[in-house]
Amino acid sequence: MRPSFYQHLHPPTIPSAQARLRYTLGAGGMAVFLTLVVGLTGILVTFYYVPTPEQAAKSIQELTFLAPFGWLMRNLHYWSAQLLVLVVLLHLLRVVFTGAYLPPRRLNYLLGLSLLVICLFMDFTGYVLRWDEGVHWALVAGTNLVKSIPLIGPGLYTFLVGSSQPGATTLIRFYAWHLFGLTILLIGIGGWHLFRVRRDGGIAVPPPELRPDAARIPRSELVRREGLAMLWATLVLVGLSIAIPAPLAPSIQEAGTSASESLAPWFFLWVQELLKLGDPFTFGVLIPLGVLLLLALVPYFSPRRLSPVELGRWFPAGGRNIQILVGVLSGAILLLTLLALLALPH
Amino acid sequence: MRRHLLLVSLLLLAIAGLALWRQSRLPRAIAITPTLTGQVEYCLTCHADLPEISQSHPVQTFGCVLCHGGEPLALDADLAHSTLRGGSNPSDLSVVEASCGGEKCHSGTPQVFRDHIQRVTTSVQATYAGAIAQVRYAFGAQPDLTARMGIYAIDGLTAFDPVQEISPAIQAFGLNCLFCHLSAQPMPSQEYDRWGGCAACHSPAPSRDDTTVHKLTTALPYTQCNKCHNRGNYSLADVQFHPRPDAPVDRLHDYYQPIAEFTRCEWTLDCADCHTRQEAMGDGHIYNNKKEIQYIRCRTCHGTLNSLPLTTTVSDPNDLALRMAFLDPVIDLKVGDTILVTDKGEPLWNIRVMPGIGNATPTYELFSKAAGQRFTFRPVMGSACQQDPDQQEARYCHECHATQR
Repeated sequence: MRPSFYQHLHPPTIPSAQARLRYTLGAGGMAVFLTLVVGLTGILVTFYYVPTPEQAAKSIQELTFLAPFGWLMRNLHYWSAQLLVLVVLLHLLRVVFTGAYLPPRRLNYLLGLSLLVICLFMDFTGYVLRWDEGVHWALVAGTNLVKSIPLIGPGLYTFLVGSSQPGATTLIRFYAWHLFGLTILLIGIGGWHLFRVRRDGGIAVPPPELRPDAARIPRSELVRREGLAMLWATLVLVGLSIAIPAPLAPSIQEAGTSASESLAPWFFLWVQELLKLGDPFTFGVLIPLGVLLLLALVPYFSPRRLSPVELGRWFPAGGRNIQILVGVLSGAILLLTLLALLALPH
Repeated sequence: MRRHLLLVSLLLLAIAGLALWRQSRLPRAIAITPTLTGQVEYCLTCHADLPEISQSHPVQTFGCVLCHGGEPLALDADLAHSTLRGGSNPSDLSVVEASCGGEKCHSGTPQVFRDHIQRVTTSVQATYAGAIAQVRYAFGAQPDLTARMGIYAIDGLTAFDPVQEISPAIQAFGLNCLFCHLSAQPMPSQEYDRWGGCAACHSPAPSRDDTTVHKLTTALPYTQCNKCHNRGNYSLADVQFHPRPDAPVDRLHDYYQPIAEFTRCEWTLDCADCHTRQEAMGDGHIYNNKKEIQYIRCRTCHGTLNSLPLTTTVSDPNDLALRMAFLDPVIDLKVGDTILVTDKGEPLWNIRVMPGIGNATPTYELFSKAAGQRFTFRPVMGSACQQDPDQQEARYCHECHATQR
């Protein structure tokens, strides 16, 4: 039987040892699926969303409470976006802890890392689009961080915010970034990333002559497994959307009445906690950028210590230095996030 | 694989059913678009059975959000109520300007009698300036009885802060005696239950069994006033409140506390039948005590031996008297009617001069504001009363007319 279009998107066969869930975690494929769900539900919620400061929060309430299944669409959009960040992080950790960043996959590692950054900005802009009391603090604090950058800060702030303080111009710019700017980047770099996966030889494995297990699975099997994973993911997404509604808060009231419970979105809580330590530029901009830079340099840290023979399994000994570095960074970020959560007023 | 697929498909079906069920359980939204805001609101989805608050605030005109705040589109109770102004009382003085204010509502000009908020916020009931001046003077913190401080700073009064006072007695006053002003939380016992702000007088007290009435009214029974008044005494000796010791069972005994002296009309009528809006709500100026703003006397309605009470004839269809009668339609007042009027020109819109015959002494009819009961009475002039026209304080009238109980 000739393969369908969908099957054609997959390689004819892949090594069965590395096709296992416990090796890939299915994170890359799941990220693609969640991106599709975010995109589709995003298109649907766009029909209701009104990007003006007066109407934004109201239009979301209208979508949530009055549009038939509007609550489900919005919750699916929210939950798929949150899970996407989680899954992308998981994918990054899988790549780092299996050494898959080795040449020839250096470029694709960097593409993947930039997709993580795009994802975070997508989530942050989406968070701000709520334009309600719950996001007020994050909006003001986030944009003020930009202002704290020496030399380019004020200019960059005006570029992002469009005015001397957040207002209608900010909302429409965030809206445009969310719908167009970041989406185009996501599709472009995402497509490039997927292309490079195939071009670089699929999942990172040892050279054929060094593989202990030569067995391969056909793409029909791969497609079946993907299908099942997508069904499970849909089940989880709908379940979460029914059980835990996406957060909503009252419209932004008169200036100065921002609710004290306002928080950064969960994936930036660690930055919020860092900011308590001192200077906003150092702790809010330099350190997060430093973390990103360290992650970007992962494929360049003494690559010769890790040999391709070690690929295809978790925690290869040659990549120990990188594993420790990323492990410590992840632990620190996790700890800061927990501290921020513990410091909540209730 | 096939069993796996079957399992996840069944679960998906189940969760799709759950989503459908959830959608079907959502309340059917009831929308109104009040004419004053033009913005749709869905509060009635849950509050459809709430009676209209008053005939001068029809819900089709005002909606709910204009006065109460809140999120007009939210169908989730927590979210919808999260931005209510003043909790369940938008007339709380801290938010009253946003809730009840506005040039065409209750913070307009005195010329069109729409300056309620300015008047109330400067009144002794809200500032408590009289009591504060009295106590600070009594304990040596100020040289005279001039009002210098209020519950909050306003119009020349500074904010009274008991902690800043040197005298322990004044500090105790701050702790024990500030339960009756319009911004105060009443004392915990049920008989003191009332709202704050405008609703302290104009809404029935909040009930403790969830049967609170959604109502604004000018038909105030004496029981509304008795939430604060006639409940007992604040003693300067120990700076404590002493509740009245009796347990009244009928209106005669309930009306005033035991030490009071009063006449029949003073307890058969309600407080608001005689005392005017300016007396209760102030006139926009700071006064040193209650006595300075209270000016209704027996003679306001009954006149003296040689003068009839003052009257005015309603000529303007927009007359304040007609507006008041519209709010509390106990009297069929119309243009051309002659009503009593106070020394300061406030219409006693519920007291009308009955058509007389020739030059005979007139008869007046009074409609009680809360019960709508009709009473008639005649002036002093032409009666057997011999009271000197220059001695018209209530105590002189009480010498003959005090009720025994």
